[in-house]
Amino acid sequence: MYPGPTSPVNRLHKSVSSVRSSGSRQWTQHGQNTEGETESFCQLKARLCGATMKKVLEVILLLLLLVVTHAKGTRYSPPGKPALTRCRSPEKETFTCWWEPGSDGGLPTTYALYYRKESSDTVFECPDYRTAGENSCFFNKNDTSIWVNYNITVVATNALGRTFSDPVDIDVVYIVKPNPPEQVAVTVMEDKGWPFIRVSWEPPHKADTRSGWITLIYEIRVKLEEENDWEMHLAGQQKMFNIFSLRSGGKYLVQVRCKPDHGYWSEWSPSSYVKVPDYFHREKSVWILITVFCAFIFLILTWLLHMNSRSLKHFLLPPVPGPKIKGFDKQLLKNGKSEEVFSALVATDFPPKSSNYEDLLVEYLEVYIPEEQELMLEKSMDLDVGCLKCEGSASDSDSGRGSCDSHTLLMHKCDGVKEEEERQAKEARRHQKDWKEEASTYAHVDVSPDMSSGRVKTWPSVFSPLPRYTSNQQGSLEMAKQHYLSDSLFPTSSTSSYHTQPGHGTTEAHGPGYWECGLSNKQPHLLHPQAQAQRQLQARSDDNISSIGRKQTPAGLHSPARRSTEYVEVERVNEEDMVLLQPVSGRCGDVEGYPEMPYGEDYSKVKGVDMDNMLLLQREVREETENCDTSSTVTTTQKPAACIHSAMPVEGEMVLGVNGYVDTATVCTPPTY
Amino acid sequence: MAHRETNGSKLFITVLCMVAACSAVPINDLLDRASQRSDMLHSLSTTLTKDLSNHVPPVGWTMMPRPPLCHTSSLQTPNDKEQALQLSESDLMSLARSLLQAWQDPLVDLSNSANSLLHPSQSSISNKIRELQEHSKSLGDGLDILSGKMGPAAQAISSLPYRGSNDIGEDNISKLTNFHFLLSCFRRDSHKIDSFLKVLRCRAAKVQPEMC
Repeated sequence: MYPGPTSPVNRLHKSVSSVRSSGSRQWTQHGQNTEGETESFCQLKARLCGATMKKVLEVILLLLLLVVTHAKGTRYSPPGKPALTRCRSPEKETFTCWWEPGSDGGLPTTYALYYRKESSDTVFECPDYRTAGENSCFFNKNDTSIWVNYNITVVATNALGRTFSDPVDIDVVYIVKPNPPEQVAVTVMEDKGWPFIRVSWEPPHKADTRSGWITLIYEIRVKLEEENDWEMHLAGQQKMFNIFSLRSGGKYLVQVRCKPDHGYWSEWSPSSYVKVPDYFHREKSVWILITVFCAFIFLILTWLLHMNSRSLKHFLLPPVPGPKIKGFDKQLLKNGKSEEVFSALVATDFPPKSSNYEDLLVEYLEVYIPEEQELMLEKSMDLDVGCLKCEGSASDSDSGRGSCDSHTLLMHKCDGVKEEEERQAKEARRHQKDWKEEASTYAHVDVSPDMSSGRVKTWPSVFSPLPRYTSNQQGSLEMAKQHYLSDSLFPTSSTSSYHTQPGHGTTEAHGPGYWECGLSNKQPHLLHPQAQAQRQLQARSDDNISSIGRKQTPAGLHSPARRSTEYVEVERVNEEDMVLLQPVSGRCGDVEGYPEMPYGEDYSKVKGVDMDNMLLLQREVREETENCDTSSTVTTTQKPAACIHSAMPVEGEMVLGVNGYVDTATVCTPPTY
Repeated sequence: MAHRETNGSKLFITVLCMVAACSAVPINDLLDRASQRSDMLHSLSTTLTKDLSNHVPPVGWTMMPRPPLCHTSSLQTPNDKEQALQLSESDLMSLARSLLQAWQDPLVDLSNSANSLLHPSQSSISNKIRELQEHSKSLGDGLDILSGKMGPAAQAISSLPYRGSNDIGEDNISKLTNFHFLLSCFRRDSHKIDSFLKVLRCRAAKVQPEMC
């Protein structure tokens, strides 16, 4: 099948046989020519001898060579097995196969490639051993068929033998490996101040992508010149690619390769170099500026903070205020002796002892009304004097409760603000005591400063809604016995909080438990102090209310010699709407040394206060017994016949005090009709 | 993946039907999609062949007779580039469709006998064969629609009969051998289909050179 090359041994045999044959021929010829030419026989013989000698010499040489080599020990062997390494087609139209030769066996070896196509028995030898280089076979377009299996074998031949390689089956379409992409162009471009690299290329010129015979996909790799890591990008079928995120001032290497849709990757294209310009300076300078600026501001802030550290400390952490109690010694506290500390605080005369009741009694208010004012009082008619109608005048003459409707304290109206002296000290004290008790039960009053229309506001708003009382004023008043008490003013070492300052228009309550009767500021003092008696009219006029405390005695008033509380009851209201007062004669017979009433007959008892803040007065002739009787009763309905006004039905909850006094609270609650 | 393929193929068909009704999708696009699908088909068959040949005992190779011809070899297909490029679009489409059609039955047989194949990666082979079936079916449907747009000449299909399933073989060695043979035939045919469609795609996309 395969024409074997002539081996040297064969050649040797041939030459020997040719020598022999020629020799025999010669001899035959010589035999025929012996009779005629005796003279050429020697010449012929010499010639023949020469030729033969040459041939013989050749053989001998060869034999010698063989012997010699054999004697030296080296072996010649047939060639080793070659191997087909790979076959590749760059464009699916031609292909090349390479093989690897085996050992040559010491002898010159030749190689041949034979192939057989699928479904055919014809063996063909490689048409081109040279184009593709050493140990290769190139199949051109005419010899290439696609979608056809090739069975390829390589044979190595040397003097001693032949060796066949393993056959390889290939199909050209599966072994496509294109050439690298060509015309790789790398340029630096700019996108809004940021540079990027644009890589563009062309497919290898041999690959026919235009007709769609080959479809190529591309891949790019990039790296910085000084680094080792490549950045890969798959570009698909496009022939252009952009690379972003570049380092400023860097030098980059770019390579491209391609691959058919079902085949092998090509080699990388030769590197393309590109240098990215420096663009970062701009940014850096901006950052440097910002940093310097911030540092500067930071320094300034630190300096400011240092300068104002103290005030800042005070602002953030305000100092704890120390105790500011008068008489309180911080040093003592720090020293730790509590007894000493608190001893300074202890008021030695607190609580007041009973023996000092008189001292504790409220200083009455001595009001001195100058002449002019009295006249004025008499003349002023339009004063809206609401009667204090204390219902249920059960309150006796010296009811300690200032159960008066403060705003209708008519005393100031009636010029008969003639306080009558009265009071026994005992009763006063007693009442005071009771009253004190009750006073303490009352809540802190808050006298509403309603000074409208000349009302005397003696009442805290808790007790009386003043407007109601105002509505029902009529001219006639019934004076009920109204006892006004001033609060007992507890002397304290501390600043008295109860005293009112002259000129104050408001009737603020001073301190807890105090309630006062306040007069409207239009009215001057009504009370005309009597020398003999001390009254206990705690009227607080806004004009010249005198301080009730011990501390102040207003002009015109002098504290009475006797310090007992004196009660004054309003006897009646005279025609000019003035309240006539009389000293209280509480119990019948209890009165001790009460002086006769200086003013005789025109007094009436205040029975109660109606809702119009009118005093309900008993108009009957004063009879002590009657008064006593009436004062001792609590019934709301009791109305003396002479009463002009029927007392308004006060709520039945009137609480009868121990001494028959009317609970001020109930008296002055708005009566429900 | 099989489900995705079914859904994908259904979607593909739906879109193509809509396109056929509305004539909205251009042929370029359809050809592009068909090429992508055929590409996938070929890749899958390549993988499958490699999986199978990794474990075929070498004994089988020596015993293998001269490889018989694939059952599709009777179909005249171009042997080189010039021949291929000389074909008309209709011919190309027709060839592709014929080849695809010819493999429907053998794939069924392969799928059936893959379950009883004794092979280390038998399950993956079985799965892949099933995928092959689905891909090929969806591609066939797409090509039907495409060819409908291209004219009657493109719709001509050459019939390539397939021998029976008894060729697969009884014993495992012969089974494996036949499997390998069939799959290699399919691999080649799928490559042919892919090539034809890509040539068609490039021809249709004259205004878009980047397609090629």
